[in-house]
Amino acid sequence: MKRNRIIAAIATAAILISACGGSGNGTTSGEESGGRSATADGIKDGGTLYVLTFQEGASNLDPQRVYTGAELGAYGSTYARTLTSYVPAAGKDGAGVEPDMATDLGTHSDDLKTWSFTLRDGVTWEDGTDVTCGDIAYGISRTFAAEVTAGEGPMYATTYLDIPEGDSDFGSAYPGPWLATADQQALFDKAVACDGKTITFSLKVPVADFAYTVSLLAFGPVPKAQDTADQYALKPFSNGPFKIESYEPGKEMVMVRNENWNPESDPVRKPHVDKIIWQYGLDEAVIDERMLADSGDDKNAIVYGGIQAENLQTVFGDDSLKDRRTDGFDGFVSYTMFNNETVNCIEVRQAIWLGLDREALRTAAGGPFTGEFAKSFVAPLLATDYAPAKLVDGLNEDGTPNLEAAKAALEKAKTSCPDVYAKATGDGLRFDHPDSDAWKKNIAIWIDSMKAVGVTIIDNPIEPSKYYATINGDRGDIMRSGWAADWANASTVIPELFGKGGGFNYTNNESDPNFAAFDEKVQSAKAETDRAKQATLWKELNQTIIDNVWAIPGSATKSQNLVGSNVRLGYQWLPFGWYNLGAIGLAG
Amino acid sequence: MEPVDTRDDSMDSAGLSPWQLGMRRFRKGRLGVIAFWVVFFFVFVAIFAPIIVRLLNVDPYALDRNSINDFGLPKGPLGSMSWNHPLGVEPGTGRDILGRLIYGTRISLLIGAVGTLLSTGVGVILGMVAGLRRGWIDSFISRIGDVALAFPSLLLIIALANPMTQRLESWGVPRGNTAKLTYILAILTIFGWVYMARLVRGQVLSLRERDFVEAARSFGAGTCHLVFKQLLPNLWPQIIIFVAMSLPGYVALEATLSFLGVGLQAPTASWGIMLGDSVRYYRTDTAYLFIPGGALLLLVLGFNLLADGLRDAFDPRSDRQQL
Repeated sequence: MKRNRIIAAIATAAILISACGGSGNGTTSGEESGGRSATADGIKDGGTLYVLTFQEGASNLDPQRVYTGAELGAYGSTYARTLTSYVPAAGKDGAGVEPDMATDLGTHSDDLKTWSFTLRDGVTWEDGTDVTCGDIAYGISRTFAAEVTAGEGPMYATTYLDIPEGDSDFGSAYPGPWLATADQQALFDKAVACDGKTITFSLKVPVADFAYTVSLLAFGPVPKAQDTADQYALKPFSNGPFKIESYEPGKEMVMVRNENWNPESDPVRKPHVDKIIWQYGLDEAVIDERMLADSGDDKNAIVYGGIQAENLQTVFGDDSLKDRRTDGFDGFVSYTMFNNETVNCIEVRQAIWLGLDREALRTAAGGPFTGEFAKSFVAPLLATDYAPAKLVDGLNEDGTPNLEAAKAALEKAKTSCPDVYAKATGDGLRFDHPDSDAWKKNIAIWIDSMKAVGVTIIDNPIEPSKYYATINGDRGDIMRSGWAADWANASTVIPELFGKGGGFNYTNNESDPNFAAFDEKVQSAKAETDRAKQATLWKELNQTIIDNVWAIPGSATKSQNLVGSNVRLGYQWLPFGWYNLGAIGLAG
Repeated sequence: MEPVDTRDDSMDSAGLSPWQLGMRRFRKGRLGVIAFWVVFFFVFVAIFAPIIVRLLNVDPYALDRNSINDFGLPKGPLGSMSWNHPLGVEPGTGRDILGRLIYGTRISLLIGAVGTLLSTGVGVILGMVAGLRRGWIDSFISRIGDVALAFPSLLLIIALANPMTQRLESWGVPRGNTAKLTYILAILTIFGWVYMARLVRGQVLSLRERDFVEAARSFGAGTCHLVFKQLLPNLWPQIIIFVAMSLPGYVALEATLSFLGVGLQAPTASWGIMLGDSVRYYRTDTAYLFIPGGALLLLVLGFNLLADGLRDAFDPRSDRQQL
């Protein structure tokens, strides 16, 4: 799962692996890749690269606990090597994986349940010692330790590895390396076995794209001797071209070159700069101001957090910035959930969808630059599983409301479900949303366009940091959300958001009579090993959700960035929705 | 101060109450009168906001997609000022800024007026009790006041905003702005009564020893008579000056709280919400920033000058050159 940055106020972006083939969407000009700033024009090795961000610090530096798209890419390209890595390239090429610490993309058994990788020679830690197979196994084992990793990182290790279920915090029989008894440790060592330089994974489910799984930093190594448990997040040990010299949350982090990194052992990373300085806690408006001014060290700066919507016109209306700006999908789909238990009337839900002024909502966010109207809960970048669904009859393509159709639907609800009709047109439906600047305006648009339909909206703003915790217990009638797949598979979207027991299913759709058949199909799609068949199932399931209007797809969102004029190779790295930090070089 | 001032000007002041005397002097100060009309204007606008908005045809809640471009920014210069939108439109939604400003006046003055009224009321009562009863009651009230003053009130207001609003909602106060308003007013009263109470207490302590009070008492006057007939008439001028001086503070506080995000919630139009929103657009829509800020400046300045004028008029010892 990944949270939307607008909600979490953390710039998260998705890991998307799109099997090539155009999605037919989005700007695909040179602009998307950032013009001259994306090329290697005139790079001179050396210099200091600055990263300006509003964040108070790294979301986490501990490899087993990083789960923010942009940061996964940034740390993976600098200090945390993994068995496989995404291809360091702009555009769709960047969505594939290639061997990193491993010699190849792994070999697997016929049933896709046993995977093994062989380590390269010459892969070393920042103190010059070799990265061993044991370090990788130890690193992965940390995921199971709830008391240290707190479930902050991806949990694929616990769901995939063939370890019996048990009563430790994540439902596994193995409680992580700190609390494990010898017997429990043996269970893990069986699932992740080391034989010299070869590491073998035994899985309890067939996983066709396990080579992608091990590119997650959570499947990366940690040297046991250096492990400081929860303090490891303050100073992780590097095995990449950069190491962390100092890290002070709220102020800055300095990454310097790691002399013990051996370039021959690393086919992926081609570092250019000597030093990377992250400046934390800057005001967003100040960041935009500094980037536009482009003076002094800011010529060597990039931004983590994107351009503010109110400055998009300035940035994209000025052709002199053409070489410095990027624009592309960030992998998120924003959407509006219904509480299908309280709004158990499809006509009312249809009326709301038809009458909603989606165009005004998008304009309030900053216009078409911020995203395209979504036709699926699966992002277009997930090309294999994406198909534009057939939306509700009468919905206007341009996002403007179709009042006639909306009123007609509401009229039908009067007879088909009088209770919900009375509530919607009388007392009103409670709309839960995070109390952010953007939503102060969005809710006005919601109230206004629903008034035109005849539906009353009760505004219920919730403190942004407590939003999901709140709706997990106390759900309104309508709730907003956003999601990005962290996998090349809609299995990280549809079951999570709409399936039974989905970790983030707030829609109460179990009460819908169509749910049983839907969930049965979700379960069979999850177990389908034929990827093409599985993709068909996901597309059909997405259509079912849309037909039942359990939720309204909003926008497939985009993000924009601006780099300093000396920055080169600042391309938007597709899997992470941000730059390939370690590859950036400086000109002049 | 003298209960009845007889030293003043050549005019025939015999038989005039301190209030009438003060008003006569106030009318002579030009700045004070101008300030009064500025304040009157805002109060008028606040009271008749719905009618004014309809007459000017500026709906504060209607979205106008046509006056903003694809980026959500106002199309025309100066935040898209035009005959339809005299002060331009809000970025993102195209709502009319003049209409929102007019409705915002209501919120600002409501909080200012009710907040002042409550804290003054509580302050006068407690100050009176402390001054008249003296003894342990006086000490008790004074110590509570000291404690209230010692609190870092703004910090507390911000920190308690969410939990207290939720608590109020769970006690049956309607959700949303009603609960938020109740909270803000309650906390303004809790921290705001002390200055008024101290002022009244001091005055009562001195007045109660005066001959006219002693005389009334010797005739067997009860507490009610003392309070309403003897003490209050001599306290009104101070109370009015105090009210005029603390009102702008409360108006500005509403803006501060909304700006910090603990005030009222959108889509209600409030100056603080507008200010907070406009700051983001200082580069792309500078005019927007100056409108709520300018209105706030004008209103607060108006109240301050009005208070100054009143003080000059009612406190003869302030020997200031009248403008």
